[in-house]
Amino acid sequence: MTTAARPSLTPGIPPEKNMQGSPTPLSVLGPQAEAERQRIRQQFEAGTSARETLRALCELADHNVQQIFGELLRVHNRDAQGLCLLALGGYGRRMLFPYSDLDILFLLGNERVEQELRPLISEFSRTLWDIGFRVSSAGRVVDECKRIEEDNAEFHLALLDRRFLAGDSALFEKLDAKVLPASEKQARPFLLAQIHRLTRERLTRFGNTIFHLEPNVKESPGGMRDYQATIWLRQIVEEKRGIRNVTAAEEELSAAAVDFLSAIRCFLHYSNARNDNTLTYELQAAAAERALGVGDGVARAPAEWMRQYFRHARTLNRQLLRYLEQKAPVPLSLRQRLFNAARSTKSEPAGGRYSSVRDGLLEVVDLPSLSDRAITYSLFAEAARTGTPLSREAERSIGYILTHPELPPKNTQISWATLREILGSDYPGVALRSMQRLGLLTEVLPEFAMIDSLVVRDFYHRYTVDEHSLRTIEHLQELAAPPDERGAHFVPLWKTAERRDLLILTLLLHDVGKGMPVENHVTGSLAALDSAAKRLQLSPEEKEEVHFLIEHHLDMSATVQRRDIFDPATVSAFAQSVTTLERLQRLCLLTYADIHSVNPEALTPWKAEMLWQLFVATSNHFSRTLDRDRLHAPDEGSLLQRVKAKAGQATIEEIERFLEGFPRRYLAVHSAAEIAAHFELYRKLGTVPVQTELLATRHGFSLTVLTEDRPALFATISGVLAGWGMNINKADAFANAAGVILDTFHFADLHHTLELNPSEAERFRKSLADVVNGKAPLEPLLKSRVSASRARAPKITVETRINFDDASSAHSTLMEIVTQDHPGLLHEIGSALARLGCNIEVALIDTEGHKAIDVFYLTGQGKKLTTQKQELLREVLQGTLV
Amino acid sequence: MMKIEAIIQPSRFESVKDALREIGIEGMTVTEVRGHGRQKGHTEVYRGREYTVDLLPKIKLEMVLPDGLVNRAVDTILKTAKTGKIGDGKIFLSRVEEAIRIRNEERGENAL
Repeated sequence: MTTAARPSLTPGIPPEKNMQGSPTPLSVLGPQAEAERQRIRQQFEAGTSARETLRALCELADHNVQQIFGELLRVHNRDAQGLCLLALGGYGRRMLFPYSDLDILFLLGNERVEQELRPLISEFSRTLWDIGFRVSSAGRVVDECKRIEEDNAEFHLALLDRRFLAGDSALFEKLDAKVLPASEKQARPFLLAQIHRLTRERLTRFGNTIFHLEPNVKESPGGMRDYQATIWLRQIVEEKRGIRNVTAAEEELSAAAVDFLSAIRCFLHYSNARNDNTLTYELQAAAAERALGVGDGVARAPAEWMRQYFRHARTLNRQLLRYLEQKAPVPLSLRQRLFNAARSTKSEPAGGRYSSVRDGLLEVVDLPSLSDRAITYSLFAEAARTGTPLSREAERSIGYILTHPELPPKNTQISWATLREILGSDYPGVALRSMQRLGLLTEVLPEFAMIDSLVVRDFYHRYTVDEHSLRTIEHLQELAAPPDERGAHFVPLWKTAERRDLLILTLLLHDVGKGMPVENHVTGSLAALDSAAKRLQLSPEEKEEVHFLIEHHLDMSATVQRRDIFDPATVSAFAQSVTTLERLQRLCLLTYADIHSVNPEALTPWKAEMLWQLFVATSNHFSRTLDRDRLHAPDEGSLLQRVKAKAGQATIEEIERFLEGFPRRYLAVHSAAEIAAHFELYRKLGTVPVQTELLATRHGFSLTVLTEDRPALFATISGVLAGWGMNINKADAFANAAGVILDTFHFADLHHTLELNPSEAERFRKSLADVVNGKAPLEPLLKSRVSASRARAPKITVETRINFDDASSAHSTLMEIVTQDHPGLLHEIGSALARLGCNIEVALIDTEGHKAIDVFYLTGQGKKLTTQKQELLREVLQGTLV
Repeated sequence: MMKIEAIIQPSRFESVKDALREIGIEGMTVTEVRGHGRQKGHTEVYRGREYTVDLLPKIKLEMVLPDGLVNRAVDTILKTAKTGKIGDGKIFLSRVEEAIRIRNEERGENAL
């Protein structure tokens, strides 16, 4: 609203000379008002409720406003006709805090009155200032109030809280009963749009979260402004639609929240002696000590008292967001509508029968079904899969079911498989947010309750511990379309990360120890993992991975900040501690998200770049040193025992012979159970010389092949896969010291051959064995399939780049190929290598969208490739792959 | 009074800060910067894409000290920031004419 600064006093005229002739001069009014203020304060400090305090402050202001106004009319010898005073905003709602401004509107009958009364108005404001009231005033002729001032929405919103104070009551009646109802009806779309705009801007300014360590109890989400905006929305929307279904319980919660926050705001004003609404650490401690707003007088720890604050703030914020969601003030654009329609059609599979998508939000269709928790979780899985949040109404429905035992809940235990589905999706944060608001997150993961609304005093962190943890997850899902340059490098890491579910579980648990009485929070978080892993029945490998990530969640950040990341020794030591490329990828994403969520400025572009540089250097270190570090089986006592435990009758010596000489990466990418299975295949090589294992995975199939090394083996296997229409996404090719080859291929079944015809699996394996054994030719299998695939033009073109590196390995030449991915690509590369007499010692095959990124460790006659051979190979491959 | 600007390796920052604190210097301004002198950048290839780092990350420390403390501060930075490799950074000294504490308008060395 238009506000007036404090009017300057007339020079040379002391305040007590104003209102000359008044029977109650300022010298009396001022001290009276001050004494009353002190009395109100003392009563508040003695335990009078905030509601009573606000009422008393309002009455004090009303009394003085009316008295001074009356005196001035008398002194100026005129009546009030054509002029009245209105209280607006918080003062209008009778919520006047100790150091808040008095928002007063001078309402004038016409412009002539305005001219005449200008000196009186000026003196009125000045006098109020002189007796200690902060006045924020505006003047309008009654007809001006009809017009919408588009650049002054705040004034129109403040006018919604109008209250008659003094003067010409007929003029107020005219405004209140005739002028404004008509214009407010017209202005409704404008007002709604403005409330949405102002509220969204305010919420965004505070990071859209109530969980600030030092919240502003007026402006922060969950503060008094949320309540005020809700009142406005209800006033505007409900007038149109009739009273909505706000339950008595919700009204009660809301009233309790307003009382609690009002008490804090009074306390802050008195403590700071000004209109400062920041609940600092010091004042949190003071408020907790006196159990402010709680009413039982029992002193509490600040963290515990702050949990009460957040509970109330959540009530007000939730209520506001529900109202904001109910009415979209601006019609949706065609693009948005199409987008929503597209989302609607996508949303069928998971929770299809029980939910629908409206305006980009998941709505519950079948309310009674929600008593089956499995159905509720399927809604969250749907939200996590599509990124479509549950509407506030949907959350409200779920919340109702959760808190009303008349509908007995079913399937309340969540399985790890269901939770994995939520955590491993593209938008886990969308589901987890709703689950947190509904208290379901702590039901699924009770360990998370230890950091619920937890304030830990810290110079850098801006949010409570639970909020920080959820933000880490949201920052990762944001990488689908990063909002700024800081995330750009990390996009492919997020898109290609394996076992995201474990990464997200780590992020939920990594700071849980902060809510435990332990010296080092990591110890506590690991203890929380122990209990969570046992309850959720994580496999030992899954638990070990999360354990590693929690235990080392600060390592990458510490290395970036405290070590010279351009020093190869730093990179080598870091790589050694991380052990695998996949783990490095998860740790890097975790570090990115963890720093990003400390506060909005914590992840500077500088830090993001440093983190990326360390990732790149370590990643390259892994792919360039694969054959350097090979297994010496007798040193792997614990592994040998674990494999033996799973491998039945085998002797340790047999297992040693199998493992001897594999690159150490083999251990890093396979669990003990997988190694035991490989060992079983190895033992059968004597009878069946090509052993295969075909498994369905989440994203397709994996094929493991064990056989004796032979010329063009890699090219042959990849050729069979291409012939069957399989697209290889990832592969490892290893050899042990005895020349046994162990190749693992992860592929997509492009034509759903194996997926739709399970019996084809056996034919596929036989076909593979026959071709590898030379009993069947590859070419006929390959010909039709590859030519059909090559006929389709790629959507994105990737330029072929081939690099050779003779320095990284002592025994081999590294060849890195980056090229356009297409079915049959590996067969083409493998065949070219075989034709030129190159032996593949190790291969690492990966894809990123349309880009294939393959690293081969090559030898020719047991030695590194000569420069001439490298050039010839480059020429041949460039010709083949273009 | 002298102003010290020191450009150092990020990995040495914590040690330099601790060492300065030990000789009684607590106040400083720290900025994350990028740049290069003789230590040129380098190129890293990752997944077929070249990443050229021609401006290397550094930390810039700025502090204004009374004349009597300047030499000790410089020695401390030299001792703790040095690794002996190209890229250890530089220290710049310049004279400061006046310092004013905004809160109470104290001036000169009292304001430091």
